[in-house]
Amino acid sequence: MKLLLLSSVAAALVLAGCGSSSDSASEASAGEGWSYESGDGKTYTADSTPKRIIAQGEAAAALISFGIKPVAIYSNDPIETNKSLKDLDLSGIKILSETYGQIDAETAAGLKPDLIVSSYWPLEKAYGGFESGVDDSAKKVQKLADVVGPAEGDSVETKLEGYEELAISLGADPAGGTIAADKATFQTAVERFKATVASKEGLTSLAVSPSEDLLYVAVPSEASELSDFERWGLDIMDPDSPDPDFAYWENLSWENADKYQPDFLLMDDRDAANSQKIADGQPTWQNIKAVKAGAVVPWPAYWIHTYKDYAAQLDELSDSIESIDPNLT
Amino acid sequence: MTVTARTEAAVEQRPRYRSRATLATGFVILAGALAVVCFFSITMGARGVGLSTIWKAFTDYNASDASETVIRELRVPRTLIGIFAGAALGLSGAILQGVTRNPLADPGIMGINAGAATAIVFAIMVLGTQSVSMYVWFAFVGAGVATVTVYGLASFGREGATPVKLALAGAAVTAILSSITSAIVMTNVSALNELRFWQVGSLAGRYFPVFWQTLPFLVLGLVLALGTGRALNGLALGEDLALALGQRVRLTRILMFVTVAILCGASTAAVGPIVFVGLLVPHLARMICGPDYRWILSYSLLLTPIVLLVADIIGRLAVSPGELQVGVVLGVIGAPFFILLVRYRNLAEL
Amino acid sequence: MTETLSVPLVRSGRMQRRRHSTVVTAVLAIITFCLFVLTMMVGSYFVSPVAVMGSLLGLRDDATADFIVKDLRLPTATAALAVGVAMGISGIVFQKLLGNPLASPDFVGVSSGASLFAVSAIVLFNASSAMISGSALVGALLTALIIYLLAWRDGITGYRFILIGIAVSEFMLSIVGYVISRAELYEAREAMTWLTGSVGQSGSGELRTLLVALVILVPVALVLERPLRTLELGDDTAKALGSRVEVNRVALIALSIVLIGFSVAVAGPIMFVALIAGPIAGRLTGPQGGVLAAGLVGAIIVLGADLVAAQVLPTSLPTGVVTGIIGAPYLIWLLATVNREGRGG
Repeated sequence: MKLLLLSSVAAALVLAGCGSSSDSASEASAGEGWSYESGDGKTYTADSTPKRIIAQGEAAAALISFGIKPVAIYSNDPIETNKSLKDLDLSGIKILSETYGQIDAETAAGLKPDLIVSSYWPLEKAYGGFESGVDDSAKKVQKLADVVGPAEGDSVETKLEGYEELAISLGADPAGGTIAADKATFQTAVERFKATVASKEGLTSLAVSPSEDLLYVAVPSEASELSDFERWGLDIMDPDSPDPDFAYWENLSWENADKYQPDFLLMDDRDAANSQKIADGQPTWQNIKAVKAGAVVPWPAYWIHTYKDYAAQLDELSDSIESIDPNLT
Repeated sequence: MTVTARTEAAVEQRPRYRSRATLATGFVILAGALAVVCFFSITMGARGVGLSTIWKAFTDYNASDASETVIRELRVPRTLIGIFAGAALGLSGAILQGVTRNPLADPGIMGINAGAATAIVFAIMVLGTQSVSMYVWFAFVGAGVATVTVYGLASFGREGATPVKLALAGAAVTAILSSITSAIVMTNVSALNELRFWQVGSLAGRYFPVFWQTLPFLVLGLVLALGTGRALNGLALGEDLALALGQRVRLTRILMFVTVAILCGASTAAVGPIVFVGLLVPHLARMICGPDYRWILSYSLLLTPIVLLVADIIGRLAVSPGELQVGVVLGVIGAPFFILLVRYRNLAEL
Repeated sequence: MTETLSVPLVRSGRMQRRRHSTVVTAVLAIITFCLFVLTMMVGSYFVSPVAVMGSLLGLRDDATADFIVKDLRLPTATAALAVGVAMGISGIVFQKLLGNPLASPDFVGVSSGASLFAVSAIVLFNASSAMISGSALVGALLTALIIYLLAWRDGITGYRFILIGIAVSEFMLSIVGYVISRAELYEAREAMTWLTGSVGQSGSGELRTLLVALVILVPVALVLERPLRTLELGDDTAKALGSRVEVNRVALIALSIVLIGFSVAVAGPIMFVALIAGPIAGRLTGPQGGVLAAGLVGAIIVLGADLVAAQVLPTSLPTGVVTGIIGAPYLIWLLATVNREGRGG
């Protein structure tokens, strides 16, 4: 009797364990329809233009700015505090997550998506939201549809162009909406930034993110907006020994906070109030001359995804830089 | 084990007698060693600072000189916290081992670390507090509440808080608290981030504010602790004998737990849960000075800060210009050391 | 009872008890199956039981429902079932061998050791699922060995064993803390979720290893059930009854450790399941009940806890959170029944 019970339980288990997974959607055959070369270097195709799109938070902001509305968004943080999303009209869009690493996979499946859009991070070889370390159920969302998006790389400008290309391929009107106006505003802001920086000869800066234990110094070549700033003439100091395990930053002990002395600091603005509190609590923060002189400027770190936001941030930077003394160090 | 075998083993275990003079001399030597270690703690670190600058920092302080700031505002409080927290951990480890008669007792069993962790993530979630000097109070209260709960649960029943019941109660309370902590950090990323660094135990980022906040409790606890030596010796004889000798066992036990709660609560609040030193150093002390708890406590008082500070110094130098937390260093050194200790010395019957 | 206890009377009493335990075990199996299906029915979308069976057997053509049932819910349900059975059996074997209700592998640190090794493998070496299962197993074996060596002077049936086990468990977990602090934030989050214990998190490789182990070891456990009962009577009695004491004991401990090692690899150290499954099963089925009942009770606990953790609470939480809250009162209840010298419970 027991053996009978046992064998049926075993059989059920084996059946369940062997249950094959579905094959992935839409790696359809080549031909007309739709194709896009994505940030990971591969070209993705579909028989027809994808209409039902699930997008990662900042990527969604980019798409929306070009007139493409996704059916659902998954965000790394709550919408009200997310800089890219909080001022947007998200009516009719399902929110699948407001925490990094989690996505409501069941709802996502029920939406029957054709495409998933997110930026590609070359250092981690993964699209945003699907890096190693996210929940298993979040990872499984990748099976529902192809994931595409431009790469986070050397330039925000290039990334925005990538999003524009993607949006147009998805049916956006290149001349429609506010795209042209946004781009014009952006160009003006860039010119102003270049001029402001050029007018301050010998201006140097350093991008940092303070934490309780350590002061993190950013590697400009790994942050796309910092690379842009450098291209437009701003001198950002390059740390000489980045962390080999996580090459975006060099880890400085607070004892060595004054290792680099720039004319002004670019401070990571993703959690600005908290970063400021932490920095203020560190006795050696004041050893940085720029801090003493009050020359600390917010740095929009890794989150810009639209021309509008970029223009606004550049203008704010130009405003701040105008009052900086380039001969501090 | 047969009777004869057990007797032989007991004979082998007979504690070696150390004269008071020898032990006193040893104590003085240890004090000297501590002073030397403190010196190194102030002179060494991720930033190279010359001796003359250090001298100047104490005699003719110039607040705008970076190196002098590092010495006075970073390394001095760090060293001081290391001394007091280290002493607190060592003493509470010794007391716990004595009162629970479990050679592997450490404050974690009493739920102290779990209580502090829960209080901290709660503070972060509800109040958004994010720096050590702000959640020190919460950690302290959390640790205290957890200890009281554990002791209270274990005291149900005729025999009061026997070692087994304490361990059970500790495990139960730790389980509930860990569940609550996990529930909170799963939903709050800043709490998670803060917690996982706090959990390692570190002297970095602890400056004078934290020191002044925890100092009163640490001093109070240390004074109480040093007075428990005689009572611990009594308990080591076994409860019945102690009672027969006129010791007020129940009262003493409560007093000891209160002391441990204060000491560990304060040090955990200050530097996070550092496990190894409280566990290992009392054994080291016992190896050196024999079973008299008055000496074990005195030696632990000096020995633990030495170990802690040495680990901290190593952490500052190993990956300069960055730093390694003291908890990590202790883990790397402590684990094999613990295994060696267990192998080459039968853990004494307490 | 003044009438003579005749042989037929004794025998019929035993048969009655055996029948009782068989019936209870069957009922437990049915409840387990129902919970198994229920887990796959609920979520953001409700799927009817018929639809669930249909998707599982491949009879339907609804891609979305198939994805939800087979890709999302089935692995979780299977993991919960497998882990529950494994932990239940592992727990009762340990408890019966050591003659102490507290001597559960998750309580005395075996699962903490397994977690330490598994988390290290995940975080430090980015291991494949085979390596994770392997590391967990190595960790479990090593920890069991350490505890045994530390406690052997007193014999493994004393309370000292428990104390040392708890201490070793603490120890292992604190080392895990160090490992986590070395990880990046996203890895740390993964590691911490993992450590709380959750059935939703395993790769299919670890799950398959556990399933294979179960298919092999559950029959072995059933075969060894009789020797286990004999061993409970004490070594001398067992030898007198012709049982091969040492061989059976080693086999049973090995079985228990393997099961718990692989369970930890799948779902992390889910607290207290191994501790409470055996005693609960014992209470339900009476003295003739055994290993299978404990396994089923374990499965019911884990499946139930997962349902509560994932669906009932406002945000989805790891399974271990719920089992931690269930187990704690049981421990406290044990406190009341423990006495200093004898065996409690």
